[in-house]
Amino acid sequence: MVRELKFLAALWKINIASAMEYRIAFLSQSIGMILNDGVYFLVWIIFFDRFNNIRGWQLTDMFLVFGVSAGAFGLAGMLFGNTFNLGDIIINGRLDYYLSLPRPTLLHVLASRTVPSGFGDFLYGFISYFASGQFSFGGLGRFVLALLLATIVFVSFLVIIQSLAFWLGTGGTLTGIAINAMITFALYPITLFNNAAKLILFLIIPAAFMGAVPAGFVRGFSWYLLGQMTLASFSFLALAVFLFHLGLRRYESGSAIQVEV
Amino acid sequence: MKKYLAIFKINLLNSLAYPAEIATRSGMILVFMFVFFQLWYVTYTASGLQVLNGLTLRDTMWYLLLAETLELGRPRLARVISQQVKDGSIAYLLDKPYDFMLYQLGIGLGESLPRMGILFIIGGILVWALAGAPPDLQNWPLAFLAFSGAWLLHFCVNGLIGLAAFVAEEVAPFEWIYQKLVFILGGLLIPLDFYPAWLQTLSKFLPFAYMMYGPARLFVRQDIQLFIQIIIGQLFWLALLGGLLALTFARGMRRLAINGG
Repeated sequence: MVRELKFLAALWKINIASAMEYRIAFLSQSIGMILNDGVYFLVWIIFFDRFNNIRGWQLTDMFLVFGVSAGAFGLAGMLFGNTFNLGDIIINGRLDYYLSLPRPTLLHVLASRTVPSGFGDFLYGFISYFASGQFSFGGLGRFVLALLLATIVFVSFLVIIQSLAFWLGTGGTLTGIAINAMITFALYPITLFNNAAKLILFLIIPAAFMGAVPAGFVRGFSWYLLGQMTLASFSFLALAVFLFHLGLRRYESGSAIQVEV
Repeated sequence: MKKYLAIFKINLLNSLAYPAEIATRSGMILVFMFVFFQLWYVTYTASGLQVLNGLTLRDTMWYLLLAETLELGRPRLARVISQQVKDGSIAYLLDKPYDFMLYQLGIGLGESLPRMGILFIIGGILVWALAGAPPDLQNWPLAFLAFSGAWLLHFCVNGLIGLAAFVAEEVAPFEWIYQKLVFILGGLLIPLDFYPAWLQTLSKFLPFAYMMYGPARLFVRQDIQLFIQIIIGQLFWLALLGGLLALTFARGMRRLAINGG
């Protein structure tokens, strides 16, 4: 375990050094993403200025939901950047490189890339939390914990979806839809949806664990919500690892010469 | 003009060769329209009114459908051009006997038309089922004209962002922020009718409302005065942004340095 953590730390260090090689592009993407998220949030400010609340949800709740969702999205991009293109890696036979090395394949492939704009999303998550007017040191601790668990759910969900590439042979389109569905559902008040839709958002597209549930936990400590988030994150993680390794047995490639940079 | 028509036809046929692929990619509009319906259904129900700011729930949903069709269906020209500038492949297009920007227009239209058609049909079926029948057919011609003008405005701005690659290392942040400004000031997620008066006034002086709100609003309510306003606004911004695009392209050509081949 310690060995793998050291390996991860080494990968992240290299990724950051590599991203900083193009400093202007890195900074412009990070700052650009913070502005992008901020401008996007104006929609909710305008909406709640006109309608006040949606079945009990107010602007403060949206700040928290945006904070957790953007933070988790950003953290996934920063630490596990290949989460967003695992399907393409599988289809194009680029797993060969990782399989030939004595390290856990899934961990290695996911952590081998950093998405520079992820830093912007991650920082925006904290800005949104501070802007919510709910700041307290306990709240900040809960926010960080919720962010970590939401990131596990998000990364695991994308690994599950993209592991289907082992069987289906397609990647990009499904991934795009999965990411968009997860983010869209996570960023809207959960009170909008009826019980059937909520069941989907908890069990099939686990957007509730990237938005509403962690936001509720940040608002106030609850063993019930913490238990839900922990159970969800470890269940989805276990399923992701299981499916990826099950699919790996079917993996085939044309032994093309690939260069991983 | 014939050569551009031929380029358009080739790309149209190319796109139509894979209708299933377009339909799968277009599936995202179902998620968006479902979430929008939940949001606005709850909002209208909570208000207890049939008509809010001049729009019924059905109007709002068809407005959002047209706006999303344009947003999801327009070509991602900025990415294409910036990539061509960065990797130098623009050199292979510049020595051909056609105007570079008109060539891009032909390609963009050829790719965009089938995508927008399928988006509208798939999303329309869902909106019809959820909110009711589409707007009166007599609204369609004026909306179509404004829709075409909006598409051209998007083309000009995207072209400008793509050409910014001549001077900027990374243009993606410009594209994100431009997209979010369209979201807010164009009324993509909330019709401008629901905005505070000062923001509605401000949006009239900017191009974004003519790129999104105009055609979507004309689609749900026939309003000759609004149509004239929208068309005049679109012509003004087309002249300004089109001129700027031609100027930027000419200046970019002077800065272009191609090494080897």
